[in-house]
Amino acid sequence: MKRGVLAEGGYVVALLVGLAIANFFPRLAEWLEEAIRPELYIKIAIVILGAFLAVTAAGKLTLATSILLRGVAAIVEAYLIYWAVVYYIARKWFGFNREWAAPLASGISICGVSAAIATGGAIRARPLVPVMVSSLVVIFAVVEVLILPFVAQTFLWQEPMVAGAWMGLAIKTDGAAVAGGGIAESLIMAKAATEGIHYQPGWILGVTAIVKVFIDIFIGIWAFVLGYIWTNHINPTRDADKARVSEIWQRFPKFIIGFVATFVVGLYLALGTSPAITAKLPAQIAEANTFRVIFFILTFFSIGIISNFRKLWQEGIGKLAAVYLLSLFGFVIWVGLIISWLFFSGVKPPLVT
Amino acid sequence: MSEPDIRKELLDAPVEPLLPIEKKLIGWSLGIGLVLLVILVAVNHFFPVTALG
Repeated sequence: MKRGVLAEGGYVVALLVGLAIANFFPRLAEWLEEAIRPELYIKIAIVILGAFLAVTAAGKLTLATSILLRGVAAIVEAYLIYWAVVYYIARKWFGFNREWAAPLASGISICGVSAAIATGGAIRARPLVPVMVSSLVVIFAVVEVLILPFVAQTFLWQEPMVAGAWMGLAIKTDGAAVAGGGIAESLIMAKAATEGIHYQPGWILGVTAIVKVFIDIFIGIWAFVLGYIWTNHINPTRDADKARVSEIWQRFPKFIIGFVATFVVGLYLALGTSPAITAKLPAQIAEANTFRVIFFILTFFSIGIISNFRKLWQEGIGKLAAVYLLSLFGFVIWVGLIISWLFFSGVKPPLVT
Repeated sequence: MSEPDIRKELLDAPVEPLLPIEKKLIGWSLGIGLVLLVILVAVNHFFPVTALG
């Protein structure tokens, strides 16, 4: 347990070191720029996580399947409810034009960076727009990941699966959300342990990851829907520039294929092979898990490095931040909490036997 | 585009009124979303998460 808390504590330290470099040593941040790839690092970590989750789920297949099915609720919430409300707020209350409002709504409501970029491309926005929105999403994800896991530990430690789903729904960007789920898991398991409850590790983080992966799956389809509306009805364009069905595949986050592949292989090794192989599996997965932790730490460090608050403020991000602030604290966090509660309250991770 | 231009653009952008197609997009998204959520909550009620492995 302590080892788990220390590992997640390492994420926060990596984030703080990255933030310090970005804001106080900008030349060092520039020098590191080429290696700062948070989206790449988290996707590698999620692919490794697939095998870990498979082995964790193998012992409790019915529970795991039930959780998977409830990932559908996350899709409905992110794409149909959050997006519509944020888009309306950005357009009606803050007066943003469509080019800014659509990527902003996707960034705040779906999954941050990749959604903002996919939407920007789909509606044919200037490249600058999703880049600015992505920067904003990362900044807020940093703030959320430093606060929400601790809030979850304080108020949701008796509802661990609600906490896991909430991290996936409330924290934007894959990296911050999944790592936030990891921090929440360690904190909640530590608190539960003081009460004599010892949960199996991996389930809270697993719910967060599944919620996030389910949301990611539909980015391509949503971008196509927006692209179709924009290129046919809002800014009618020449046939060659209209949204094409092939864009769904182009924008599909391919790392999900890796996640599913490692999950399926892990499940096969856990359930479909000889007892001798199955017995060796936990130790092998633990080794792979070490790499997952390393990539999580790289993700956090990278997120810190790209979070230069002063530069973003100078770029005029204040009005965008106002929409984000209002949407996030006005309803994204609370609706996410209500829906997580509706679907996961009373569900507990298996206990260590 | 230089940095001050973005700030100016965001502050001075002319208001674009919501088009009927945008209102439809918002309305249909919310409507379908709420209906699906109610259905999923009902499914969740009748087929609750089970811990039986």
